[in-house]
Amino acid sequence: MRISTWEFYIREALLSLRRNGLMSLASVSTVALTFLILGLFVLLVFNLDHVAGTLESQVEVAAYLDPDLEDGAHLEIAKLIKEIPGVKESVFVSQGEALDRLRVQFGDRQDLLDSVEDMNPLRHSFEVKAKRPEDVKVIAAEIARLEGVADVKYRQELVERLFNLTRSIRIAGLAVVVLLILATIFLISNTIRLTVFARRKEIGIMKLVGATDWFIRWPFILEGIMLGFLGTLVSIQILNRFYYWFADSVYSSLPFVPVVSPADTLRQLTLFLFGLGLLVGAFGSLVSLRRFLRV
Amino acid sequence: MIKICKVTKTYPNGTTALRDVNIHIKKGEFVFFVGASGAGKSTLAKLLLREELPTKGEILVNGVDIVKLKRRQLPFYRRGIGVVFQDFRLLPEKTVYENVAFAMRVVEEPRREILRQVPAVLHLVGLSHKSRMKPSQLSGGEQQRVALARAIVNNPPLLLADEPTGNLDPDTAWEIVRLLVEINRRGTTVIMGTHAREIVDTMKKRVVALEGGRVVRDDQRGAYGCEEAKAPFVLPEVGEPSGL
Repeated sequence: MRISTWEFYIREALLSLRRNGLMSLASVSTVALTFLILGLFVLLVFNLDHVAGTLESQVEVAAYLDPDLEDGAHLEIAKLIKEIPGVKESVFVSQGEALDRLRVQFGDRQDLLDSVEDMNPLRHSFEVKAKRPEDVKVIAAEIARLEGVADVKYRQELVERLFNLTRSIRIAGLAVVVLLILATIFLISNTIRLTVFARRKEIGIMKLVGATDWFIRWPFILEGIMLGFLGTLVSIQILNRFYYWFADSVYSSLPFVPVVSPADTLRQLTLFLFGLGLLVGAFGSLVSLRRFLRV
Repeated sequence: MIKICKVTKTYPNGTTALRDVNIHIKKGEFVFFVGASGAGKSTLAKLLLREELPTKGEILVNGVDIVKLKRRQLPFYRRGIGVVFQDFRLLPEKTVYENVAFAMRVVEEPRREILRQVPAVLHLVGLSHKSRMKPSQLSGGEQQRVALARAIVNNPPLLLADEPTGNLDPDTAWEIVRLLVEINRRGTTVIMGTHAREIVDTMKKRVVALEGGRVVRDDQRGAYGCEEAKAPFVLPEVGEPSGL
């Protein structure tokens, strides 16, 4: 294809964009809005995944030992726990250590603990981490069966709930986004249809003098792609600003909430949205060319 | 060059526009298709442009059966035919020059070729000095000359003119006919569909008369009607036929 031909296509496409100003604006806005919502969903899901993943890696099984156990028996139990498949590490926490931790948590109300100093009500325990979070349940069950282990607890439930939430949001988000993308394609194809209609004379002449089908189609496809591109550009701008602001405010006010760092995420999201934007634009115009341009 | 053999065309609505039509046209001929509206002239043009397919029969152009052309091949076939219509069909927002160059652009001619060829055909039709004007600034005859320039700018071996003088006053019509003659003289086969009795009678060219979709007459040096034409063959003097 000649360079001058591409110049011709681009000039024609730009001309159409301007000629259909209002309709083009509507299409660009729809693309922008759709991608804004899509982008927000993606960021939300990324972050929920991140939070869930962080919590998940912290999930551990706490195994409390029988208080009547002889001293030194915990060494035997430690060995048995290590032999359970899927266990990453297990740490023994003695009564005394447990109390010290409690002191740290109580801060300046140490007086509350002073009264129990002599008769420590806490028990020895093991803190066990799993290699893979989904094994936690099985490992907990195994440990519970060991002799000398009185009680087993883990925070799996919270993580599971979080994962369920993420999954629902993902499905709902996907449904909303698919609908919005369909609406976008429809609007773009409508815009292109108007362009085709406005230029039917030109198209007729092009056909008469022997322009190939693709020669006739390209300017319209480019127009669709431009609509998609402009819309994506707007949405990316807004998403970038929003997410930097969001991440900053979370860092400063809720530092313990893990937020996905903006730079990487936004770079990926930008690439993804631009790819999708160009596709949606091209597809929207192809839909309308198939129906309205019998070349 | 063109062989139309036993062609019948029935439209989906049931009208039969052509019945068993046989026409052979040699390279370099100048042929009038005459007949009242609805006689089948336009249908013939559409068949030759392959905008329509014949219901029966075959159409050979340069030995190629155009009925069997694939969709993909159509544009390349059409590049061999220049077309002019009664209503000019110029692009109003493009200048005269751009309208003509457009035909070369869409067939992806190199820019060098466009820069060379467009001024040459504008000179031929005598509109060099108006190349920057928009069609709305031109008279009907001038607009048709632009359309003619566009039709021949890619040097098609066949020129199809469907009532090219239908919207023009007689003097202006003659300008167009003179141009068609000139184009024909340079080797292009010209087919002109027309009602213009005076032009046909004066020109003494081959006349194919259609009536109700049948060829009722095909005279080598004919007249519009059956009566003997009396006028001698002279091209009337008209306007300022620059470029001829």
